[in-house]
Amino acid sequence: MKGTLAIFAFACAAALVSVPAAAQWAVYEKPTAEDWAALSKLPDFSGVWERGGGGGGARGGGARGGGAPGGAPRGGGFGGAPGARGGAPRGGGAPAAARGGRGGGGAVPTPEYAALRDQRRAAASPSQMANCLPPAMPSIMGQPYPMEFLMTPGKVTIILEAFTQVRHIYTDGRELPEFPDPTFFGTSVGRWDGDTLVVESVGFNDFVQIPGGIPHSDELKITERISLVDDDVMLIETTFTDPKALQEPYTTTATFARHRDWTLAEYICQENNRNFVDAEGREGIVLDNPGGLPLPN
Amino acid sequence: MRTFIATITAMLGLAAGTAAAHHSFSVFNMQTEISITGVVKEVQWTNPHIWVWVDVTGDDGEVVTWGLEGMSPNFLARRGWTRTTLKAGDKVTVSLRPLRSGEPGGMFMSTTTPDGVVLTMGGGSESD
Repeated sequence: MKGTLAIFAFACAAALVSVPAAAQWAVYEKPTAEDWAALSKLPDFSGVWERGGGGGGARGGGARGGGAPGGAPRGGGFGGAPGARGGAPRGGGAPAAARGGRGGGGAVPTPEYAALRDQRRAAASPSQMANCLPPAMPSIMGQPYPMEFLMTPGKVTIILEAFTQVRHIYTDGRELPEFPDPTFFGTSVGRWDGDTLVVESVGFNDFVQIPGGIPHSDELKITERISLVDDDVMLIETTFTDPKALQEPYTTTATFARHRDWTLAEYICQENNRNFVDAEGREGIVLDNPGGLPLPN
Repeated sequence: MRTFIATITAMLGLAAGTAAAHHSFSVFNMQTEISITGVVKEVQWTNPHIWVWVDVTGDDGEVVTWGLEGMSPNFLARRGWTRTTLKAGDKVTVSLRPLRSGEPGGMFMSTTTPDGVVLTMGGGSESD
């Protein structure tokens, strides 16, 4: 028995060694007093932030312009609206206008990826978000819900109220993985460039799109430069680099306002989701059974 | 009161743009706005969207319950709403974008609360 266990353990160890991704695993160590003290010397990103409130937009590609108010890579146009008096477009016209700054200097795909984009558009089925699947990067950073930054030794954590999601940004000096698994938010590491946190993320699944609905290759890297431009105003410049999919890197900017009197609220999308997309790609709404999820017995 | 109206107006205007964050508008006829008058049966103050259920009595006396989708409680609560801003028993006239399916439901656009506050979806009328 002991021998069997030993062989099993050896097999596991060999399996781990043979998987390069395993090399990224870092060992957590208890932070020292100095580690905690070092945080106080960094810009304070902690607290609850809401998208919008100070311009932003998109640049890159061949032309300038585009940037919708709020500067969301997609689904934007929320910024600056609080306090406005009934001036918002009816029927949600904002998202289309803001999507990747199309027609106004958006990301420029390579011919191959332009064709791929058109192909996917032609076959487009409605977003699975109607079924409560969360948005991927970069859309998750442009939701009309706040996010909270936590700064701890070796890590910056972003808790996203929308769909109750989390981004983990490791600032402990580790490298990006060489063979990351493709995910919604990628794998992220951060380093400080003066007072700017530079976050690099790689490893994205096909739910991730470059603004403008451009598919990405396995070479996509998203770089976010996060800084404070005022006490309670955060600027995030997001650059998409993908040599296979883009003719040149594409950058969008967005601002966020810190709400010191806010806390994050619960967001369980499945609680009372009446929207759906069926297997044939049809969208619908469930009107029966008023009351939401059945309660536990 | 005016401030409150402005806040609600802005909030609902935002909701028009933000509802897309969870799903598209394709189930609604966005070119049409109709109104219904009835009594609030129930308000579901739930994610991902609130639902306001309104009982409408037809000329023949038959009661049809309409389901109206609004923005999320998280979003609304930060902009002056509470879960009792609209409540069961309130008599309301609601403007809405109807469901394409023809079922009794739609996207909540605007209403007038019992105390005269107009909750609009952006660009709409105000009571004062």
